[in-house]
Amino acid sequence: MNAAKKGPDWVAKVQNQSRLSFGFAVTDMAARDDKVVAVSADTLDLIGLREMVKAVPDRVIEAGIAEQNAMGVASGLATTGMRPYLCGYAPFITARSMEQLRNDVAYAKQRVVIGAACSGITLGVSGGTHHAVEDLALMRSLPNMTVLVPADALEAWHLTQATEALDGPSYVRLGGRVEEVPVTAPDAKPVIGKATTLRRGTDIAVIACGVLVAEALKAADELAGEGIGVRVINMHTIKPLDRETVLAAAAETRGIVTAEEHHLTGGLGGAVAELVAEEHPTRMRFVGMPDEFCIVGPTPKVRERYGMTAANIMAKCRELMG
Amino acid sequence: MGGSLSAAEVLAALYFHHLKIRPAEPDWADRDRFILSKGHANAALGAVLAQAGFIEDSVLDQFYAYESLFGMHPDIKMAGVEMSTGGLGHGLSIGLGMALGARLQKKKFRTIVMIGDGELQEGSNWEAAMAAAHQKVSNLTAILDYNKIQQSGHVSEMMALEPVADKWSAFGWAVREIDGHDMDQVVSALDDLPFEKDRPSMIIAHTVKGKGVSFSEGTHLWHNNMVPEDVYQKALAELGEPV
Repeated sequence: MNAAKKGPDWVAKVQNQSRLSFGFAVTDMAARDDKVVAVSADTLDLIGLREMVKAVPDRVIEAGIAEQNAMGVASGLATTGMRPYLCGYAPFITARSMEQLRNDVAYAKQRVVIGAACSGITLGVSGGTHHAVEDLALMRSLPNMTVLVPADALEAWHLTQATEALDGPSYVRLGGRVEEVPVTAPDAKPVIGKATTLRRGTDIAVIACGVLVAEALKAADELAGEGIGVRVINMHTIKPLDRETVLAAAAETRGIVTAEEHHLTGGLGGAVAELVAEEHPTRMRFVGMPDEFCIVGPTPKVRERYGMTAANIMAKCRELMG
Repeated sequence: MGGSLSAAEVLAALYFHHLKIRPAEPDWADRDRFILSKGHANAALGAVLAQAGFIEDSVLDQFYAYESLFGMHPDIKMAGVEMSTGGLGHGLSIGLGMALGARLQKKKFRTIVMIGDGELQEGSNWEAAMAAAHQKVSNLTAILDYNKIQQSGHVSEMMALEPVADKWSAFGWAVREIDGHDMDQVVSALDDLPFEKDRPSMIIAHTVKGKGVSFSEGTHLWHNNMVPEDVYQKALAELGEPV
C-alpha cells in the first residue's frame, strides 16, 4: 500500500518521521501476515507500535530495556518461522547487543529486521552516549546483512515493507523525534539495492543517505544557479551497494561527494570509496562526522558545526570543480 | 573435553528419551528444540547427534577439520544443530524466542537450553531469566550443567554463584536440583517438565567436570586442551569404549 493511497490519515499519523513510519508499516504488515511480530526494547511510542498493540497484542513482545536479550529473542523467533521486527534505539540496539547481532542474527543468518530509531545525532542534546554515528560501519561489516537508510518517512514505509522479501537479516536506520524533509516522490517505489537518482547533473555527483539527502538537494539546486550540474543520488541501501549507479557517477562526472550523518570511517563514504578505488579511481570528498565524539547541542546546530549541511556539500562540490 | 563429559548423561537422556525429534527430518517444524548454549561442549553434542542419526559417524572424524561443520562450537548449518553458539550467554534468549514462537503459532514443541555455570557470569542470562518468567513460558527449560569449574579454575573462586537455586527461584523459575550423572534422576526430572504452570523450568544438574576419566575429573586442565593420542587411548579404556 503506498502513502498516496493512504492519504491524509497516514500523513497525520506518520508526521514526516521515519521512526513512526517503520512502526506503522510493521503494523500494516502484521494485519495481513500472522507471522509478523514486533519485539520492542521499551520503544512502543518511539517506534509507533501502540496501534499494533491494540490490533494484535500477542504479537508485540515487550523485551524491556535489555537489548542483548531482545536480539536473541528475535533470532529465536525467526528460527520458528516468525518474522520479527526488532525495535530499539540505534545507539543501543547496535553497540549494546552487537555480539548477539553478529552471532545469533548475522552469522546464523536469521531473518530479523532491526528498526533503529534516533540514529546519527538526532538525540543531539542527549550527548555522546546517545548518538549513533558508527552504526553503519558496524552493520556494513557483517556478512549477510542488508543495510537500509531511508531518506524520509515515505521511503521508510516502502523499504520496511520491502524487507518482507529478504531472506536474511536487515538493518533499517531511522530518525528521531523530529520531522524529516520529504524528498522522495509520492509515487516512488524504492527497490532495495537500487539507488534513486533525484537530480541528473553531470558535473559532480553527490551520493547521500538519510537526512543528508535533503541537504544534497538544496546544494544541487543552489549550485545549478552557478552553472554547476549536480547529480544527486539517494543511496538508501548501503549494503548491498548499488555498484552500477556509483560507477556510472564515477565515469560520467568530475568527482563524487558523499554525505551522511555518520562517522567518515566505515559508512557510506567508505563504501563508495572502496568501490571506486578498485573499479574506477575518482576524486572524492566526504561530508560526515570527523573522528571525534560529538558535542552536546540541538541537532541542527551540531550538524552545522561538523559540516553536515548543504553549505558544506556545496563547498566540497566546488573543490572538485576546481 | 571436561565440559563435554560433565554433560554426557543429560545429553543422552535428552536425545534418546525426552526430545521429540526426527533425525531423518531434522527441520521437522514441530520438533522439540535443544540449544547447547555452552557451545564448547560441542564434542559431546556431535557424538549424540551421530548416534541419534542426524549426521553420519564419519562427520565425527571431521572434528576441527578444514571446512568442517563440526568445529569446537555448534554450527547451525549442521543437521540437528538448532543454533550456532559459542559466545556465552546467548542460548537462553534464543530459546525464549523459540518458546514464544511456539506459543504464537500454537505449536506444542518444547525448547530446552543447556547452560554452563561459568556462563552465568554473562549478564545477558539474567536478562533472559527475567524476561522468560515475565512471559510465563512453561514450554522453556534451562538445564544448568553445574560442574563447578570454568576455564581458569573453580567457579566459586572466580565469581561466586551460590545460592544459585535461590537466584533462579527469585527470578520466577520453577527449580529442581538433581545429580546430573544419575540417569534415573535426569530422566525423572525431564519427565516431570514443566515443573509448574506458567513458569519456565530450571534443572540444576550437579555434575563433575571431566566425569568418567580419572585424570580429567574435577580439574580445569582439560577445559580447552587438545588430547594427545596416548591420553586419548587411556581415557577410552577408562570409559570402557572400544578403541
